[in-house]
Amino acid sequence: MVSVINTVDTSHEDMIHDAQMDYYGTRLATCSSDRSVKIFDVRNGGQILIADLRGHEGPVWQVAWAHPMYGNILASCSYDRKVIIWKEENGTWEKTHEHTGHDSSVNSVCWAPHDYGLILACGSSDGAISLLTYTGEGQWEVKKISNAHAIGCNAVSWAPAVVPGSLIDQPSGQKPNYIKKFASGGCDNLIKLWKEEEDGQWKEEQKLEAHSDWVRDVAWAPSIGLPTSTIASCSQDGRVFIWTCDDTSGNTWSPKLLHKFSDVVWHVSWSITANILAVSGGDNKVTLWKESVDGQWVCISDVNKGQGSVSASITEGQQNEQ
Amino acid sequence: MKLKEVDRTAMQAWSPAQNHPIYLATGTSAQQLDATFSTSASLEIFELDLSDPSLDMKSCATFSSSHRYHKLIWGPHKMDPKGNVSGVLIAGGENGNIILYDPSKIIAGDKEVVIAQNDKHTGPVRALDVNIFQTNLVASGANESEIYIWDLNNFATPMTPGAKTQPPEDISCIAWNRQVQHILASASPSGRATVWDLRKNEPIIKVSDHSNRMHCSGLAWHPDVATQMVLASEDDRLPVVQMWDLRFASSPLRVLENHARGILAIAWSMADPELLLSCGKDAKILCSNPNTGEVLYELPTNTQWCFDIQWCPRNPAVLSAASFDGRISVYSIMGGSADGLRQKQVDKLSSSFGNLDPFGTGQPLPPLQIPQQTAQHNIVLPLKKPPKWIRRPVGASFSFGGKLVTFENVKTQAQQGAEQQQQQHVFISQVVTEKEFLSRSDQLQQVVQSQGFVSYCQKKIDASQTEFEKNVWSFLKVNFEDDSRGKYLELLGYRKEDLGKKIALALNKVDGPDVCIKEGKQESEFLPSAGGTFNISISGDIDGLITQALLTGNFESAVDLCLHDNRMADAIILAIAGGQELLAQTQKKYFAKSQSKITRLITAVVMKNWKEIVESCDLKNWREALAAVLTYAKPDEFSALCDLLGTRLESEGDSLLQTQACLCYICAGNVEKLVACWTKAQDGSNPLSLQDLIEKVVILRKAVQLTQAMDTNTVGVLLAEKMSQYANLLAAQGSIAAALAFLPENTNQPNIVQLRDRLCRAQGQPVPGQESPKIPYERQQLPKGRPGPMAGHTQMPRVPAQQYYPHGENPPPPGFIMHGNVNPNAATAQLPTSPGHMHTQVPPYPQPQPYQPAQQYSFGTGGSTMYRPQQPVAPSASNAYPNTPYISPASSYSGQSQLYASQLQASPPTSSSAASFPPPPSSGASFQHGGPGAPPSSSAYALPPGTTGTLPAASELPASQRTENQSMQDQAPKLEGPQNGWNDPPALNRVPKKKKMPENFMPPVPITSPIMNPLGDPQSQMLPQQPSAPVPLSSQASFPQPHLAGGQTFHGIQQPLGQLGMPPSFSKPNIEGAPGAPIGNTIQHVQSLPTEKITKKPIPDEHLILKTTFEDLIQRCLSSATDPQTKRKLDDASKRLEFLYDKLREQTLSPTIINGLHNIARSIESRNYSEGLTIHTHIVSTSNFSETSAFMPVLKVVLTQANKLGV
Repeated sequence: MVSVINTVDTSHEDMIHDAQMDYYGTRLATCSSDRSVKIFDVRNGGQILIADLRGHEGPVWQVAWAHPMYGNILASCSYDRKVIIWKEENGTWEKTHEHTGHDSSVNSVCWAPHDYGLILACGSSDGAISLLTYTGEGQWEVKKISNAHAIGCNAVSWAPAVVPGSLIDQPSGQKPNYIKKFASGGCDNLIKLWKEEEDGQWKEEQKLEAHSDWVRDVAWAPSIGLPTSTIASCSQDGRVFIWTCDDTSGNTWSPKLLHKFSDVVWHVSWSITANILAVSGGDNKVTLWKESVDGQWVCISDVNKGQGSVSASITEGQQNEQ
Repeated sequence: MKLKEVDRTAMQAWSPAQNHPIYLATGTSAQQLDATFSTSASLEIFELDLSDPSLDMKSCATFSSSHRYHKLIWGPHKMDPKGNVSGVLIAGGENGNIILYDPSKIIAGDKEVVIAQNDKHTGPVRALDVNIFQTNLVASGANESEIYIWDLNNFATPMTPGAKTQPPEDISCIAWNRQVQHILASASPSGRATVWDLRKNEPIIKVSDHSNRMHCSGLAWHPDVATQMVLASEDDRLPVVQMWDLRFASSPLRVLENHARGILAIAWSMADPELLLSCGKDAKILCSNPNTGEVLYELPTNTQWCFDIQWCPRNPAVLSAASFDGRISVYSIMGGSADGLRQKQVDKLSSSFGNLDPFGTGQPLPPLQIPQQTAQHNIVLPLKKPPKWIRRPVGASFSFGGKLVTFENVKTQAQQGAEQQQQQHVFISQVVTEKEFLSRSDQLQQVVQSQGFVSYCQKKIDASQTEFEKNVWSFLKVNFEDDSRGKYLELLGYRKEDLGKKIALALNKVDGPDVCIKEGKQESEFLPSAGGTFNISISGDIDGLITQALLTGNFESAVDLCLHDNRMADAIILAIAGGQELLAQTQKKYFAKSQSKITRLITAVVMKNWKEIVESCDLKNWREALAAVLTYAKPDEFSALCDLLGTRLESEGDSLLQTQACLCYICAGNVEKLVACWTKAQDGSNPLSLQDLIEKVVILRKAVQLTQAMDTNTVGVLLAEKMSQYANLLAAQGSIAAALAFLPENTNQPNIVQLRDRLCRAQGQPVPGQESPKIPYERQQLPKGRPGPMAGHTQMPRVPAQQYYPHGENPPPPGFIMHGNVNPNAATAQLPTSPGHMHTQVPPYPQPQPYQPAQQYSFGTGGSTMYRPQQPVAPSASNAYPNTPYISPASSYSGQSQLYASQLQASPPTSSSAASFPPPPSSGASFQHGGPGAPPSSSAYALPPGTTGTLPAASELPASQRTENQSMQDQAPKLEGPQNGWNDPPALNRVPKKKKMPENFMPPVPITSPIMNPLGDPQSQMLPQQPSAPVPLSSQASFPQPHLAGGQTFHGIQQPLGQLGMPPSFSKPNIEGAPGAPIGNTIQHVQSLPTEKITKKPIPDEHLILKTTFEDLIQRCLSSATDPQTKRKLDDASKRLEFLYDKLREQTLSPTIINGLHNIARSIESRNYSEGLTIHTHIVSTSNFSETSAFMPVLKVVLTQANKLGV
């Protein structure tokens, strides 16, 4: 069942482009063409406007919450070519940093896994991806990948933090040697995977080709302790692909077509447990998908205005008893 | 930003949108001779490869043609859906010829690429267009007013759209309508445009501004609005783009005067109707919004004129422009840096000038450097307004707790009245996919709570589908029964009674030994009493020796002798007499000698050495071993032995035996090993199999707690992992409370501590930080500088707003009241006493912010509301005020106990400033909201007497709170109406709100153009209305929403007020609630509101039916509505309809409205609510707004609800 538990009237004066809950699911951040970012407290079905953040000079495309270990921090990106990082200080939200390093609309922002520190990836229509790393003292270091995607990067998504070699290895005091990776999708119809080299430079590791039109979104699935890496991608061409990589070197990715929709697919989002994918299409339709036992992706729900039923047949997996 | 360029003087055509990859076809332009004056011509196809960063375009094919072209288009006719190269290239030639090419054949290098050719036209064919509805239809225009419609399926004989226009003129442009497939427009350099209806086979309208200066060089239909089109003029005296609406064809709707000289070509984006490209003899390429005239973008171009410009149909950000300097350039309108793009030019120059870097410095010589540098500073900005195609209209994202956040931007439909103003809603939904999992988890929880373990296990046994499962549950069940070991034995197949019978049977078979024993007993009774003498032999044989030994008390020797003589029984009996030590020795010696099958068992029984049995028994006999252990083992070694056996089974046994180890672990009560063993055997990733495991584990842990009094709080790594996995699954299904319940306590494993923290906060509870010493995360800060005096405690959080959320819908337990805690520790310590309720701290919020959030509480309880007083509150005000969050240096950990941990700039409490104010009657922060389901009656919230004792005295309140109260009182008089605090009575709010209404209300847009008044032109009826035109009806109707929502606000406010945790004495004073008066007074005021007596006139009899009908309808709705939000809406509506009844009483409504209302009432009677809504819309749109605004929106809400509920 998909049932509405809270309808938040955002009072935005124009189209909403993104709505994201914080780590705990108690606060909602929204952004809109009306150039504002709003934060609501939505606990217990309520909606209390906590902040109405003004600072962008164009439509705001995306918002992203940082992990709460760094405090209450929200990043937003806009058509005005800016990325703004907002922070709650003493109960008030204010701008803590503004990144103006892009020459065109910034379409996507995504925080790296908290284990790496505060790192924000930003994808822009100028084709570049920039990486902002907080270095302390209010300073942010910028690394830029120019020409990451010709005529524009539409989406960025970090790989979960996995220590190479061991899967459920408890860190024994020492900082594990993470390999930082993220995926990006762009107007060159490509998905690219980027990896940080030992010298701290970002290098294109993979090019995933299957889409025949703009890649609108990519979403790296959360890690659930399995050795497989999974990425979902969606495109202007209406196709949604699930990419998986089983080998540890991370070089062999194979796509599986989830579905071909009749309209552009704008957004894909994994559930926290990585077993359900929410797909948002241009026909204002939201569908939920789940992998069945035989590895096929099945649509389990059509969500309309936040409501939908869930087809039960495949959700209850076969019980494996002796 | 320029992406690509090709050095051709050519006409251009992009491949159709379906085609992937994107191709650009170029055909040598007939208008220009290139520098060589060559008359050769070619048709080329390039691929747009954007992943190649260079400016070069990849040439795919070249076909040498005998023609030069005036026009080139690429139609999707006969394209396969796969998007393979196909379609038709249609070229307009110099001599009246139209040629069809097969682009796939051109790319394949085929010689025969012409599909068909026809030279029916006179003069050059300058105009061509493909019908987007029937892609086999192509219109062409040439000299002598010639227009032909070609069917690509039957190319030989074209049709005409009607009689030729007179006088004969050249056709320079032709275009099919984008909305109506049989409408075609043509234009000529003379400035006239003609619109043809192919069904009527005649021109239906001619468009001309009669200036005689319009020399049409471009014509394009509006992509969305069927009656609108633009014309571009080539004349330098009138370099304009005119926007026409055919419904008002006397003059242009809008004139775009952005070019300084004549316009050579235009192109209207199909992807965004607000983007029109135009290029002119002023060498500019502009992108403007034809609907407003605003220039959105000027492409950075060189000084050359462009004569052809095209949007790429597939990639909406890309366009191509052909210029007279012999180049086709491909641009993106999304801006971007021009870095490196000039490189091609530089390279070219370098190659022409040879090596200008003879010294190998890696730098070009100065002459080349100069233009390059200026170029690089030239960052190209994107369009002023974001194009439609990057505005994401929809999104769904998962968040913690199985919640899905969705939004969709539904297109506004103007004609549907009041509620159709665009509502920017975000839905938060709960996604539940594992119902069985959840219900089982639920059951388990109930069992744990009710302690009904035995019946639970029994149920499980009954439901078990496999023998093993049954066994496991039986074993678990035994844990909760008396004589558990005995029952274990039974389960292993050793029933005591059965055994007794069997033994009896066995003994009977051996000739009644039973009797013998009895006889023996009798004998032994006889013997002493007989008192007879017996012969003590002391002969030298064994008997004699034994006798001698006995006589000397040397039992040891006597026993040895007996053993030696194999007189085992004698030996044992003697040994018993000889004492414990001797007996043990004797037993050992006996066992050493004895060799029978069961000796070892007997050995173990006698020696109590079960370890050996367990260690060395054949694993096939694990049952027996377990049974023996169950029978004999001492409590302290019992579980270790079971454990050992289980371990052996697991490590040495085959797969079947391995699973049996589970039973041993259950007996042992070893949860951790059970988990390990189970996990090995089962697929743990499936939620239900995890549920299987957790059920057992939970029951077993309970059993261990009960029977073995062991410390079950210690949780092993594996179990912790499974439990957190389980909790994660539960959380993902939205069962956060359950997840918390199952999460093991007292563990320091970071993943569990983190999960607990997340769950607690997700639930809206402060994390019991004091209980678990570990902080889930090392808090890191974005230092904003400002290390305060308490630098060591800069991480001390505080709570930004008061938040007393009753949790769930339970009424507060008696005696439960808010605490104005000074110490967060105290707050958390209170927690367990009132589970389900969340307290947060008193708000150390500086004024005047408390008003805003406080008022919005009522929003939360009042359901979704629109109206929010927008009082600008300067955030800086907070700093100016002596705001003092309570500070407790001891609570530096309290990051977990707080809702919003944030950095605090510590400053000392300003208790002195607060002391001068009288103690507020109640802490402004301490009130409690009703849950959504709370009964509306205020009396229901009357607190039990006794509770007042827990109200903190003012002196106990943190200074900040007092300060805040004071500030509220200070502030209140300055504020008015909706800006007032939450504690102001609705009565005060109402008046200013009414006043405010007109401010929110957007008056109907004044009619500024004839387009607003449809002329009744038959064409305008045939064609769709211009959707973007604001219709007065819609703007008027769209108002009532905020008004209505405002009403809900009142409602929301009333509720929390009614249940303020106030001692009764405070409600007494009877003062009309002046702003700033103590809160208690205002409460009294509120409570007295409903009883306010107003003498009202009766409703006239003939209209009474309205009241009864509407009220009846609301009642019906209320009885079938399920969610509290709807109920509140309805309740509210019922109240607000009083406005209507008042008007009825006063008889102030106009007859049309009265009539309409009666019509609505009739439609309600007939349950035809949609008709009622239609009538409603009609009334709203035709009546005076002020007359109806008080009740019509409410009526609409009721009708809509009724319709939805189907009552």
